[in-house]
Amino acid sequence: MSDLEITDLHVRTEDREILKGVNLSIKKGEIHALMGPNGSGKSTLANTLLGHPSYEITEGKIVFKGEDITGSDPHERAKAGLFLAFQYPVAIPGVSVANFLRMAINAKREEPIQVKEFRTELQHAIDLLDVDRSFTSRHLNDGFSGGEKKRAEILQMAMLKPDVAILDETDSGLDIDALRTVAEGVARLHDEQGLGALIITHYQRILHYIEPQFVHIMLDGRIVLSGGVELVERLEREGYDEIRQEFGASV
Amino acid sequence: MSENESSANGAAVTVKPGRHRESTLYSALAGVGAGGKGKSLAALREEALAVYERTELPVWRRSGFWTTSLQELDLDKLEVRHHPQGELPAIVLETLPERKRAGRLVQREGSVVQLELDAELAGKGVVLCSLEDAAVNHTELFEQYYSKRLTSDRHKLEAANAALWSGGAFLHVPAGVVVEDPFEIAYALDGAGAAMYARTLVIGDAGSDFKLHEYNLAPDFDTGQALCAAAFEMYLRDGARCRLAQVQDWGNGEVFDASTRVVEVGRDAYCHWLPALVGGHLVRQHLELAVSEPGGDMAFRGVFFAEASELLDVFAVDLHETGPSGGDVHWRGAATGSSRASFEGLIQIDPGAQQTHTYLQIHSMMLSPKARIDAIPSVLVSADDVSASHGGTVGELDEAVIFYMQTRGLDRASAVRVIVEGFFEPLLSELQDEPLEELVRAKVAAKLARASEDIREYAETR
Repeated sequence: MSDLEITDLHVRTEDREILKGVNLSIKKGEIHALMGPNGSGKSTLANTLLGHPSYEITEGKIVFKGEDITGSDPHERAKAGLFLAFQYPVAIPGVSVANFLRMAINAKREEPIQVKEFRTELQHAIDLLDVDRSFTSRHLNDGFSGGEKKRAEILQMAMLKPDVAILDETDSGLDIDALRTVAEGVARLHDEQGLGALIITHYQRILHYIEPQFVHIMLDGRIVLSGGVELVERLEREGYDEIRQEFGASV
Repeated sequence: MSENESSANGAAVTVKPGRHRESTLYSALAGVGAGGKGKSLAALREEALAVYERTELPVWRRSGFWTTSLQELDLDKLEVRHHPQGELPAIVLETLPERKRAGRLVQREGSVVQLELDAELAGKGVVLCSLEDAAVNHTELFEQYYSKRLTSDRHKLEAANAALWSGGAFLHVPAGVVVEDPFEIAYALDGAGAAMYARTLVIGDAGSDFKLHEYNLAPDFDTGQALCAAAFEMYLRDGARCRLAQVQDWGNGEVFDASTRVVEVGRDAYCHWLPALVGGHLVRQHLELAVSEPGGDMAFRGVFFAEASELLDVFAVDLHETGPSGGDVHWRGAATGSSRASFEGLIQIDPGAQQTHTYLQIHSMMLSPKARIDAIPSVLVSADDVSASHGGTVGELDEAVIFYMQTRGLDRASAVRVIVEGFFEPLLSELQDEPLEELVRAKVAAKLARASEDIREYAETR
């Protein structure tokens, strides 16, 4: 049985149906890539999985670790072990990275984390993502560059230790060095913590650093094709147009 | 401003609403107080009493924006109550942090009930005593500074303070004395039925360096009214430095507060002033920071948080009488429930105050559809080689930020708390005083907890 089981998910926002029956299952420790052109519904799926209030589920369900979370509050999903690395992380002025992490960790626990344990874990995450120590005393995402924001997302992921993480275009806007750091960080978390991940992207390059076991192609609100890495190569050769013609999706 | 104009202000409050010139009410004290000129304290009290008797309770009006009226106050039902030495009000014991301090003066309604001063500082000549004592035992300083910048004729409650104050606080830090720990001055009400006329005079002599924390406190109470009309003046002489903070929380009772606080920054002196106004049924504060000599510099900070049906009216003045001088005014306020907060920030640069550089910013956050914050910056510049500008933002809770935090495991109420605390944080961390920061954070958190239903409803309507 999979950890994250998405069945026939239909989602609408502002009177427009965006997801038209998505089926996907992810086990802890598996790396999945979800690819598709802009507007195909990838970010909608990511946000819906975490319970964004603007997206209305009209049909289908989301089961996580055996629990139906279709109607759960976002923080309950997070506590259950689901994580979203945002495409556009928002700034939280006045709250340092370290303080925010402490609050987030404590939200998941009965007893607050010990200072020493927190420091050790934070240092580990800092090393993993190759950021300066002073990074954690800056206000979260406030005045961060694009690369810093994405590093901060993965830093949070490293600290919160989810079972399944959704990475929504974490690779976009990153230069090649930042991309490598972020991707290697994710790969390490996969190795060390058995992280399961859904990597949403429309480029292939991040997948050179983290090899997915499963690749899914999304067109017009549906996953039209699933397979292994060979799909990435096919996309690289043919682009989405060939696949679109094959599956007759209207976008 | 001449004394005549000042008197006209006092009379203006008796004019029917809508007829007076509002600008006369929202104007800086601009220097000239009631004191000095060899007048005795008795004579000053007598003058003020005459004003008190002939004037009505004040109404402040900014047409099109707000009206702050104290006419609901039933002064006849209030009295100045006196309390024996040593009987500290519970609210003071509960609120003031356990900490090292340089000295403490606690006034309970009409009486000073606690006075302590570090023996070593006393040995260096530091004086902390009641203002009544200072009038008798420190006559030279008292006569030079008492009411130097505070008027007594602009409205009935200002006159009441000048005529009727008792107890009071006097702090003198002599030249060159540097004090690490803060002095604390607390004014506390017991509850309904009290009128408190709090009066404070602080002198930081040349080269002194100290911290002062003022507390204005009352416990919650259900019925009846209470009043605090405070007058606070601080004079920082050449090169003196002071970090001044004020925590005002009058609780949920019907407490009226109409107060004036003025700080004069002398030659090359510096003041960092941060009032935290976090509770009161109806609060009107005239806060004026005046740079009076070349080289004076200041940071004028402030936070406010109005809840339920509270009404807060802040008039903050950044006054430059000479240049070169610096100013930096930065306020942040939030409102929940059906509260109203009105902030007027005035930059006034007098003729000849060349090379003054100042900036005023006010940021507000609305947490309820029925709450309202008005922020009016104004600039009165009478010199040409200066820079004075202002800015500000009005914000609401950002649902994207709330969702972001929820995906990290914080529930909605916690997320809101983090946002609001983060909103105030840039100023609170400037206090550079952990116990005080914690106290204000706790008060903000308590206000948010009380308003959580309101905030949730607001989110759902948007």
